[in-house]
Amino acid sequence: MAIATRQARPVESPQTLPRHNLWEAMCKFVRTKPLGTAGAAIIVLMALAAVCADLIAPYDVYEINQQLQFAPPSLAHWLGTDEFGRDVLTRLIYGARIALFIGFASSFLGTTTGAALGVLSAYLGGKTDLWLQRLMDILLAFPLLVLALAIVTVLGRSIPNLIVAIAIPIIPRTARIVRSSALAAKENVYVEAARALGSSHLRMMVRHLVPNVMAPFLIVLTAQLGSAILTEASLSFLGLGTAEPTPSWGLMLSGGAPMYAEKAPWLAIFPGLAISLAVFGFNLFGDSLRDALDPKLRHRT
Amino acid sequence: MRGFKKSMLLLSVVMLTGLSTMSSTLAEDKPHYGGVLRVALAGDPPSLDMHQEQTFMVTIPMSTVYNTLVMFDQHHYPKIIGDLAQSWTVSDDGMTWTFTLHQGVKFHDGSELTSADVKASWDKIVFPPEGVVSTRKSLYQMVKSIEAPERSTVIFRLHYPAASFLSLLAHPANFIYAKKYLDQDINWYKTHAMGTGPFKLQEYVRGAVLEFKRNPDYWKKGFPYLDGAKYFIIPDTGARAKSIRADRTDVEFRGFAPAEVEAITAQMGDKVTVAHPGQPAHWGIAVNVDKKPFDDARVRQALSLALDRYEMAKTLGPLTGLDTIAGPMPPGTPWTLRPEELQALPGFGKDREANLREAKRLLAEAGYPNGFQTVLTNRAVKLPYIDFGVYVVSAWKKIGVEAEHKLEESATWSKSRLTRDFELLVDPFGFAAEGDPDEVMVKFTSSSPSNWGRFKDPVVDQLFERQKVERDTQQRAQLVQDMQKRIIERAWEIIGLWWTRVEVRSERIHNYEPQPSHWLNRRLEDVWLSAR
Repeated sequence: MAIATRQARPVESPQTLPRHNLWEAMCKFVRTKPLGTAGAAIIVLMALAAVCADLIAPYDVYEINQQLQFAPPSLAHWLGTDEFGRDVLTRLIYGARIALFIGFASSFLGTTTGAALGVLSAYLGGKTDLWLQRLMDILLAFPLLVLALAIVTVLGRSIPNLIVAIAIPIIPRTARIVRSSALAAKENVYVEAARALGSSHLRMMVRHLVPNVMAPFLIVLTAQLGSAILTEASLSFLGLGTAEPTPSWGLMLSGGAPMYAEKAPWLAIFPGLAISLAVFGFNLFGDSLRDALDPKLRHRT
Repeated sequence: MRGFKKSMLLLSVVMLTGLSTMSSTLAEDKPHYGGVLRVALAGDPPSLDMHQEQTFMVTIPMSTVYNTLVMFDQHHYPKIIGDLAQSWTVSDDGMTWTFTLHQGVKFHDGSELTSADVKASWDKIVFPPEGVVSTRKSLYQMVKSIEAPERSTVIFRLHYPAASFLSLLAHPANFIYAKKYLDQDINWYKTHAMGTGPFKLQEYVRGAVLEFKRNPDYWKKGFPYLDGAKYFIIPDTGARAKSIRADRTDVEFRGFAPAEVEAITAQMGDKVTVAHPGQPAHWGIAVNVDKKPFDDARVRQALSLALDRYEMAKTLGPLTGLDTIAGPMPPGTPWTLRPEELQALPGFGKDREANLREAKRLLAEAGYPNGFQTVLTNRAVKLPYIDFGVYVVSAWKKIGVEAEHKLEESATWSKSRLTRDFELLVDPFGFAAEGDPDEVMVKFTSSSPSNWGRFKDPVVDQLFERQKVERDTQQRAQLVQDMQKRIIERAWEIIGLWWTRVEVRSERIHNYEPQPSHWLNRRLEDVWLSAR
């Protein structure tokens, strides 16, 4: 007697962002999350300004103009000029480049390293997990800015060092979140099955755990982007980041701005607004993204 | 009778009021004992031994504890009067100077000052032993020997009759220490304060305050008037200015930027006095001639030509006080280059476009038609260092020179300067005595420890050697001017701008006039404070 057999179909590991559905997902996002869209718009605007700085900036960013020192906002200079007669709007646009470059580089570096460590920690478990987590705890004991400050002081001031210094405090924060997601994902039956079928450790982690932690990873990434931009501004403000005459928003806030606050308040107002807006945009977007990607909320309509 | 009583009453009231106002105005002119002067100081002294340090952070507070052999008259600068020296004679050939000391001068520990103490202190300055730094040693290259034949006599014998000797002797950094303690430990004075001066160091809380109290046994009877002085350490420029505005301090002895002076006077009105005593310091760029491409004079000249000093003065003047253009010698001396002479020199011409073209041409000729990259090492202090650096870096971009503006903390910057770990360095220099060429120009000789770029120009060296022994003032002026022209033409040091010092003080401070250098007149022995 022939027993009816059916070829078992392997269960698809759940994908969070199926490629062909990306466009639909984005439209849904825009429709349902106006605040998040606003945040995304701010980010896109900033990124465009940063990329097209050379095209859209009205003046030269380094040109010192003695006749125009401390000019208030006017039609010729929308946001006024600084103590050296340099156009504030131009410096803000180029500052966006520095902020985004350092922000993206350091948060990508930090979150990717953190995620890798989190997945590794969750997958390997046991002693490795224990030691890694204690190491993360040590790093987490320091407030973010203090740790970045200490690292920059040791490494010295330069853009690569700055990126590393901002990335390092991000690692444990990401690792924690990613690890808990990975632990949950590890419990799935298909993971055990894959192990039984003889998948290597690496394949297991990459093929089965990583896709499951993409959602929390993206959320942490967007959250840390805002935080990284703020940290870069803080370090420049404290005199440990980029140096004059490089246009960095934090640098524009230190030096000239407090000294000439009574004479030329626009020197402090506009860079401050730029930083606030950038961080605000990333936070809004990150919050809405989290709502959109949260598995508990996902199937609600 | 009633009318009479009333008018008598009125008269007596008027008279009494008149008398009391009269007596209070009279009291203002008479020195008044008491009060503690509160000073805002920009940072901690690296050590307490002035002989081994170069910063005003030591001179300003520690001058209250010591006397010098001779000094600049507090009220008639640049007249030189005796401090510990009662009188002096000089031999006809100008090579032997004999000083007679005051009698009965006591140190704070009760011991009496003798010529041995003066000799020991000056030996430390002019002939420092191994391992001891004497930052102004080369000012005294004319001194052959110092003798103390009797208790109250000190003799300086010179190699050559230097016209600058007395004014260099009066330099405010030459504190007289006690031989007893120098013999115990030559570095004793780095961590201790014990002199003959009008004040004693009572307490030093690092990062916070230096407190001095009156020396009741000061050998100049009747002085000091003040009960004491407190030097609050406030590193942030804005905070220092605010301390004056909030009446938490009475004076800041170094100088404020014009923007801060504006803010202070706007708030305090006539409760403060603003003085412009002079231009004691210059900010320029030292070039490390051992690093390519700075060994090529054309490259150095191009860097100098790219700076439009007239515009730089107009831009940086209101921001930092760097507003005066002169050569290496300070403005307002008999040796200063006249504006017409200056304008003929490369980098000081008024035709900006021509200067830029010439700079680019020189760079191309030297093999850098598209410029090059370099590093400008600077001190992480906003005024005027960082602003000066920003201007210079931005100006050099026009000729294709991309300079990374490397900011270092004060201690690191000092070290980089000393170990020549730089390509280009923002270099401040100035004078604290009279601005004699022996004081200012010695820096440009090849053997000077403060020739940070270590350039060797035999023409410059020769001119210096000739002017230091020249007794005819006209001839000497010519030699000094030739020396300045040579330095500018070869761009050994890139000359920048001179700094106008603006000193702001409370109007309660009497019997005190600021002098050109912020190192001068800091003993406070005859300064008094009026009551609040």
